[in-house]
Amino acid sequence: MLKVSGLSTGYGKLQILRGIDLNVAEGGIVTLLGGNGTGKSTFLKALSGLLPVWEGSIEFDGQKIQNLPPHEIVRCGLTQVTQGKDAYPAMTVEENLKLGAYVRKDKIAIAEDLERVYSFFPRLLERRTQLAATLSGGEVQMLVIGRGLMARPKLLMLDEPSAALAPKIIMDIFATINRIRKSGVSILMVEQNVRMALLLAEYGYIIRDGVILIKGDAKDLINDPNVKKSFLGGTVANSTHEIKA
Amino acid sequence: MDFDFSSLFAFLLFGVTIGVVYGIVALGISLIYSGLDIVHFAHGEIYMFGAFFGLVFSHTMGFPYPVALLLAMVCAAVLGMGIERVFYRRLTKGGGGYTVAGMGMIICGFGMSIVLMNIAFLIWGAAAEPFPVDLGMPFQLGDITLPKSYALTAVVAVLLMAALHYFLKKTKLGLAVRAVAANKDIAYLMGINVPMMISLIFGLACGIAAAAGVLIGPMQSVQVEMGYLMLLKAFAAAVVGGFGSLPGAIAGGIVVGIAENLGAAYISPNHKDIYAFLLLILVLMIKPSGLFGIVARVKA
Ligand SMILES: Nc1ncnc2c1ncn2[C@@H]1O[C@H](COP(=O)(O)OP(=O)(O)OP(=O)(O)O)[C@@H](O)[C@H]1O
Ligand SMILES: [Mg+2]
Repeated sequence: MLKVSGLSTGYGKLQILRGIDLNVAEGGIVTLLGGNGTGKSTFLKALSGLLPVWEGSIEFDGQKIQNLPPHEIVRCGLTQVTQGKDAYPAMTVEENLKLGAYVRKDKIAIAEDLERVYSFFPRLLERRTQLAATLSGGEVQMLVIGRGLMARPKLLMLDEPSAALAPKIIMDIFATINRIRKSGVSILMVEQNVRMALLLAEYGYIIRDGVILIKGDAKDLINDPNVKKSFLGGTVANSTHEIKA
Repeated sequence: MDFDFSSLFAFLLFGVTIGVVYGIVALGISLIYSGLDIVHFAHGEIYMFGAFFGLVFSHTMGFPYPVALLLAMVCAAVLGMGIERVFYRRLTKGGGGYTVAGMGMIICGFGMSIVLMNIAFLIWGAAAEPFPVDLGMPFQLGDITLPKSYALTAVVAVLLMAALHYFLKKTKLGLAVRAVAANKDIAYLMGINVPMMISLIFGLACGIAAAAGVLIGPMQSVQVEMGYLMLLKAFAAAVVGGFGSLPGAIAGGIVVGIAENLGAAYISPNHKDIYAFLLLILVLMIKPSGLFGIVARVKA
């Protein structure tokens, strides 16, 4: 469904990503793991068209999407939920959700999806007329995920959905992400919560300094000592999963 | 000596009327500011062009005044969108995406103001053109005579505000405009065509400024240099109300209009244009976020 080959990009003249290859198959969860400042969000920005692609190609759903304007990429069915929990604080919960469906015209299906999001996140229903500014951190995370779903994406990209949340809320969020996958949406999830992410995903990539260091089936990576090392900054020697897939 | 309440009332009434006009121009300036994070310094000239467009449509071409008003708004909107597309957009692209280009943008606005003024000068010359509009007999409110143009101005300005409010709060497109104003990257990720929305914001703001020009025209006259004073007063109105806030712009406009009329009536009529700026300075000294303190919720 998503096929990224040799992607390089950066900010101004500063190169961050150096030739990233990454695939997401339909109907699954793929996770991209890495420490702070390794280029995970930069990668998602390039996929969404918020950063220009310097080199390489992005194929989504059989279509080359590199360097399309961001709003057209959303129309192709690729939606991103950013890391910053960026709800629109001065808009109500429901206005935020409706914005998520901006690209769609099918009023009845939009109303159904609104119900679906409220069923995923009942707390949002209770707060639908409240300004997003008044929500707690966990509720905002629910709101932005729900807003992403309102676009009815084929692939939903989540940037660190568990960041800065309490353990209880993190469990809720991951459980919901699993339900979203089961409802037929493919997911590319950026995470630092390595264990949880690998338990949920089928496949994982580890990024460091703008290159993919390790990749493999999630169940193999979860026990791979090199995965831990790569986070601590040590040298990663002949990982068993590196080239396999 | 008896205090003349009825003339005080008249000054207040005139102040409010002229104030809502400052208010709607300030509304446009605030709209552009909240959309693009720039102060559009050529906005006074758009207002001036609007007034000339109105004059051309109603006098040269003979359209009825309300039709001329609408046509002038449309032409100014197109002019504004053209300027944004051809000049400003290149600058905002400089940072990669629609981010502030800061100083360059401000200077470009000043430059555009001078260019537009000179174009107007070439077309219409420097002389003040009268803009007589026959709306019939003035209203009589007790002792006060209120020319119809004043009443019309107040009504049209209020209608414009209401329409803008409805558009921003109740329509899908309005929601998208607010989204762009608050956060462009997220707006992009919602699938909103951000450059198109910015164009729309410019068009709206310029159309409203033109309406102000066509409304003020019959009260004063139309001339090439009318823009800068309006810009400064609308700017004062926007600051007084809290920069970037739309309701604040209107409230600020009314406060400036009243201050100006009361100042002219009770202090000295020779310095009518000073009062707006005295007020501006006072507000900046005492409450820099604007009288109405809504500045924290500027965006969206
Ligand atoms: N707008 C920007 N301009 C310049 N450099 C940037 C910008 N945004 C990020 N960077 C740099 O790019 C590098 C990668 O940043 P990125 O946000 O992709 O990291 P990340 O993997 O998402 O980290 P985190 O887990 O902390 O979110 C960092 O060194 C960062 O300083
Ligand atoms: Mg990040």
